[in-house]
Amino acid sequence: MGFDQLFDAIALVLGSGSVIYVLLGVALGLCFGVIPGLGGTTALALLVPVTFTMEPLDAMYLAGGVMGATSFGGSLTAILLNTPGTAPNAATTFDGYPLAQQGKAGMAIGASATASAMGGLIGLFTLLLVIPVARELVLAFGPAEFLLLTILGLVAIAVASRGKLLRGLIAGGLGLMLAFVGSDTVSGELRFTLDTDYLWDGIPLVPTLTGMFALSQMIELGLKGGSVAGTGSAVSGRISGIGSGVIAVFRHWTVLLRGSAIGTIIGAIPGLGGTVASFIAYTSTVQASRDPESFGKGNIVGVIAPESANNAKDGGSLVPTVAFGIPGSAETALFLGILVLHGIDPGPTILLQNQQEVYGLIVALTLSAVGASLIGLLFARWLVLITFVNVHFLVPVVVAVSLTGVYVLDGKPGDVVLAMVMGIIGYLMMRFDYPRLTLVIALVLGETAERSFHQTRMISDNDMLGFMAARPQSLILIALIVLTLLLPSLRRLPIFRRSTT
Amino acid sequence: MPNAILKGLAAAVGLLALSGTAALAEWPEKPVTFVVPYSPGGGFDSYVRAVAPEMEKALGVEVVIENIPGAGGQKGAATVYRADPDGYTIGIWNVPGLTVPQLLGRSSGYDLTDVTWIGNLATSKYALAVKSGSGFDSLDDLCGLGQPFKHSDTGPASTSSVTARIAMATIDCPILNVTGYKGSTDTIIALMRGEVDATIKPIASLLKYQDDLDILMTFETERSLENVPTSSELGYDNFANFTLRRIIGGPPGIPADIQAKLSEALMTAANSAAVQEWSTSSNRPLDPVGADEASAIMTQMMDFYSEYKDVLAEGS
Repeated sequence: MGFDQLFDAIALVLGSGSVIYVLLGVALGLCFGVIPGLGGTTALALLVPVTFTMEPLDAMYLAGGVMGATSFGGSLTAILLNTPGTAPNAATTFDGYPLAQQGKAGMAIGASATASAMGGLIGLFTLLLVIPVARELVLAFGPAEFLLLTILGLVAIAVASRGKLLRGLIAGGLGLMLAFVGSDTVSGELRFTLDTDYLWDGIPLVPTLTGMFALSQMIELGLKGGSVAGTGSAVSGRISGIGSGVIAVFRHWTVLLRGSAIGTIIGAIPGLGGTVASFIAYTSTVQASRDPESFGKGNIVGVIAPESANNAKDGGSLVPTVAFGIPGSAETALFLGILVLHGIDPGPTILLQNQQEVYGLIVALTLSAVGASLIGLLFARWLVLITFVNVHFLVPVVVAVSLTGVYVLDGKPGDVVLAMVMGIIGYLMMRFDYPRLTLVIALVLGETAERSFHQTRMISDNDMLGFMAARPQSLILIALIVLTLLLPSLRRLPIFRRSTT
Repeated sequence: MPNAILKGLAAAVGLLALSGTAALAEWPEKPVTFVVPYSPGGGFDSYVRAVAPEMEKALGVEVVIENIPGAGGQKGAATVYRADPDGYTIGIWNVPGLTVPQLLGRSSGYDLTDVTWIGNLATSKYALAVKSGSGFDSLDDLCGLGQPFKHSDTGPASTSSVTARIAMATIDCPILNVTGYKGSTDTIIALMRGEVDATIKPIASLLKYQDDLDILMTFETERSLENVPTSSELGYDNFANFTLRRIIGGPPGIPADIQAKLSEALMTAANSAAVQEWSTSSNRPLDPVGADEASAIMTQMMDFYSEYKDVLAEGS
């Protein structure tokens, strides 16, 4: 079932000195996670050359340590500065930052650490359970299902913008338009590239997100002055609530399980990944809540849902890897690249031939998910002090570091310019109350949606609905979409009324 | 006046002497930058990372790998093309991945006809595969479906898409190219899911999935798979021309002696025990060919693909 191999792998890593590589990975992952603009993909891309001289197994430990730690690291800045450290933490800002503003950053970090660790463990546990059927799972999901999943994500946008539907749709529409910049997936024609080859590959996610969230937030803070957690009279010095954050995760275990399940499933789909997973986890939690009005104002559940999802995604993203040796995310793609460098050819027999490396990675991810959170909890008390720092010291540091981070991944000056443009757009959106994450999610979804739309159209001989109707897995997703759209109206029915009050 | 002339002469002689010593100084004196036009961890990147350490040994200087991804490899290609032709900047080129955009006038910042070619590193040959038990036994079965057969691919500019479209156009076989898959393995999984009827992919990639696939034909002249007929055997004479080449080249105008040294170092590296072992265990075949032959191949490839400009321009 995979568990025997897991225990062997745990014994192996603990018995050798190699556990140091996991720790090194965790430390690196936390640093790259905390810094806006830098993320797991950048960390692994920079590590690829370094691992060349290492033993393959040690390289796996290092990669696993990094992968497991970045998304928790990123939640710290999301909570403390309203600036997601990595793309998947964007949804964490919705409730994490209001909590920090109320002086409850400790509670938010406690919840984020626990939800990250638990989410990571649940995702990997699910992975071990599905290993025997991983092959069938991957073969069951084709372009039709990917298309429906992106539609589900776009529908979630409408749900997420309760109260300001029109603004949500405008931001989402803008994101979709940006998604169509670059070469057409079918014809190869260039669209809206403004005669610059920089835009041939489309609008990249990381610079957009860094601009939209990190830079715009720095503009906001810089103009406002003071510090994040008020002017530091009543709240300053009192850092507590870490424990209550930890407990909150277990009290809201249904949220944790739902977030982890969504993270695992979406994580397995190449091209969507953690950003979409945590967003859908957040919106579905808002939807299922009896008190949806409390979100966005510092509801601890709004931290638990996205953070459990964005760590559970690592387990999910390994499903295509164990089945066929193909990546489920940008990080797993780099992990497979590291294997090739070591003379290993990832393929459908990866679990048989490279059992050690795969389980080594899984163990490293497990240790990392827990280790990063423990480290986070230990240092939370000092990290929270950031919210009391005068923003005029904070802003220049964050701007410089995040723009450097944006430049490092691909070394394109255009990325830095894009981030700055997005920073201004993001600030304006903030100012006039347009949802920024909606734009980013639509940008991510648009690319996959367009691609899978064309693929489904071609493989179904232009009879998409007939094609989907014959596939149970498509029908389930269609039902979910319909349910998501109808739920707000259904809630107003008398049967549901009783429980909501 | 004579003084001025003398001074001028002296300066000229001095300059000549200087340039003389510069030319005499042993190349290389400083690290060589090896540009990979894709992100770390991909196919081209792994080839370069495998040979670079052995090239360092052969050249006696450091070989620094620089990943310059973007615009389907054109950004890195343009960077190499614009570099000083002193032999200190070279790159790996995707052919026909970079040939086709140039022929269609969609390329930016490079011209393959005057790149200084250093050597071919690897050549992937293609094969046609269908899902096991699909009932297709030959290319004729696919062509006689009554509707275009569906072919899975990454993008319209990918080498296998170019191969499939040109090859099928020459025999008037209708094809529907389903593009947008994330990588060549994804296109093979698409075949296994039954979304498409067939796929044309590098032999080495298809072999990994041979339990689920039937390989109907290889695109070559002599059999590399014992039980699979070649395109030449089946009478498709042109098909053996379609290959994916990972070829090394530098900016136009690298002096011949430096080109020769680079080429020699590349060949030594590719034939070294370490690289050969990596090649076998990672299933990444090598096909090391020196500078002269590589230049000839490139000229021939350019001529070959330019015959099919119309097919390429059609899109999918």
